[in-house]
Amino acid sequence: MDVSDLVDTTTGRQKRTIYSNEELYKQELERIFGRCWLFLVHTSQIPKAGDYFRTFMGEDDVIVIRQKDGSIKAFLNSCTHRGNRICRADRGNAKAFTCNYHGWSFAPDGSLAGVPLENEAYFGELDRSKLGLVQVTHVAEYKGLVFGCFDPDAPSLEDYLGDAKFFLDVWLDAMPGGTSLLGETQKMELGSNWKLPVENVCGDGYHLGWAHAGAMSAVQSMDLAGLSVGNSSTNLEGGLSVAGMNGHMALTSLDGISGYAFYPEPKPMMDYLEANRPTAIERLGKVRGEQLWGSQINITIFPNLQFLPGLNWFRVYHPKGPGKLEQWTWAMVENDMPDEMQAAILDNQCLTFGLAGLFDNDDGDNLAACTEQSRGWRTAQMDVFTNMALGRSGPRDGFPGDIAAGLVSEHNQRYFYRRWQEHMQAESWAEVPTYNINSLSVEEPENA
Amino acid sequence: MLEMNPAPVLVEDMIALTQRLYHEARLLDAERFEDWLELLCDDVTYRMDLKRRRFRADRSPPAAVGAGVVFNENIARLKLRIDRLRSGYVWAEDPPNFVRRVISNVEIEPADAENEVIVHSVIVIHRNRIDGLARQFTAGRTDRWRHGTQGWCLAARDIALDHAVLPDSNINVFF
Repeated sequence: MDVSDLVDTTTGRQKRTIYSNEELYKQELERIFGRCWLFLVHTSQIPKAGDYFRTFMGEDDVIVIRQKDGSIKAFLNSCTHRGNRICRADRGNAKAFTCNYHGWSFAPDGSLAGVPLENEAYFGELDRSKLGLVQVTHVAEYKGLVFGCFDPDAPSLEDYLGDAKFFLDVWLDAMPGGTSLLGETQKMELGSNWKLPVENVCGDGYHLGWAHAGAMSAVQSMDLAGLSVGNSSTNLEGGLSVAGMNGHMALTSLDGISGYAFYPEPKPMMDYLEANRPTAIERLGKVRGEQLWGSQINITIFPNLQFLPGLNWFRVYHPKGPGKLEQWTWAMVENDMPDEMQAAILDNQCLTFGLAGLFDNDDGDNLAACTEQSRGWRTAQMDVFTNMALGRSGPRDGFPGDIAAGLVSEHNQRYFYRRWQEHMQAESWAEVPTYNINSLSVEEPENA
Repeated sequence: MLEMNPAPVLVEDMIALTQRLYHEARLLDAERFEDWLELLCDDVTYRMDLKRRRFRADRSPPAAVGAGVVFNENIARLKLRIDRLRSGYVWAEDPPNFVRRVISNVEIEPADAENEVIVHSVIVIHRNRIDGLARQFTAGRTDRWRHGTQGWCLAARDIALDHAVLPDSNINVFF
């Protein structure tokens, strides 16, 4: 389907049909989820050989397994005989995966290890070497985050991430001990198109003071770049909306503490930041170490990964049709954080952005309603807009990307839809543009 | 596993506690949160843990820092949630949704403390929200109720939610 008229990034306009059209959705599964690098698992979730984690790439059910040699492989969770799902658990440790249907058994390296009645029923003529689990084409790790990609022609993960690594490293590489995701997966079903929550978190600071007014009025410690209850004020100096990095985005405050200042008992968090600030500066340089590490940051890796240093939630959205998705969330910590601080972060993440999250529970109905209001005969023909602060972006010293001031802007959303359109129009990776606008030619001190 | 104490629970206690569960459900259905708080002990704990979905034979250890929770509340946290719901800004609850709790499978057994009992129950929460959107949560509850000068108060509630994926976009309700 031609999508050239469905998004106009120069005016900040999208056709609503992109949230409801079945044909477009199938095209997304092929050209976005079948082509992009997708987050699979954090290395902390499968530390030992045989550890596995079940997830999705688009609508494809996938098992990610730690191998004996420490490497990580991912396979379609589907028996090569009759297609049945071979693993029904969320995660765990296994020596083999045995299909419930006829008992075919697969080793953690994907090979077909056992077939009942192989000699009697197949007369020993089955070529087991050709019937191993189908492997995800590429699996690669970036500092603890494991991604998979179905497209053999995709760029390397490093190139795919591009200048977003500048922001990724603020979380993944500020401290020598690395990071972890904690606990079980917090799974929620939403009646929303998958693009809406991604776009909401990637750049929409506008909704915070209004959609979350109830939670903000109850949790008095909440103050994000001057945003206040009822959207009565904002401070454009306090943050940046950063985009133009191959479709990845960041929304960040610049004070170096606001992420942790929200906590009900911020003192131990502030102590941790103070004690480790020199390390962060040494590893990331002055700009990131002082202004970004400890700040509230929203990081989006196109198409469906988002994590928020500060509020410390980490999330992927799995599409389940044009009007439905599953939202998977974990708490995230730096491994250098003391146990009590990690426990406090897990608890606070569950309180604020968990399944009964004081803030998270405000978003679902809005996103579902935006989806529903794109389904009608008339509404499907209508436009929606992300045209705030249009033309008011540019470079900024010390930062990569095309940058708009403040957290209240629709700058990042425009880039999200631009990337969506670029992928949807392209027949293959060769036609997908690569861009890292205002790339920093001279890196800050390299220490990693 | 909790050992069954051979001493039977008094019939009047069974009636009083069962009635209390029904009353509690009716207060919450009517959003009478302040009246509901009156039924809670000051040191109440109110928890819903995230569950694991693993193979039976799986021996992988539990998460070091914890599995995470849906609720891990004390009285102050419950009041915080009520403050949010009462703020007038929780748009998903306005107009008010049709919410009805069904309480069943009530089973009462003695607790270790003399003035406390363990109460098991099942709760089904029906919600009809926008238009025809109806959702249902099912959960098991294990409570500890304490008898004091004000009658029975809820000292602890552990809620086991029976959904691997939450089938709704919020949990703006108490179990």
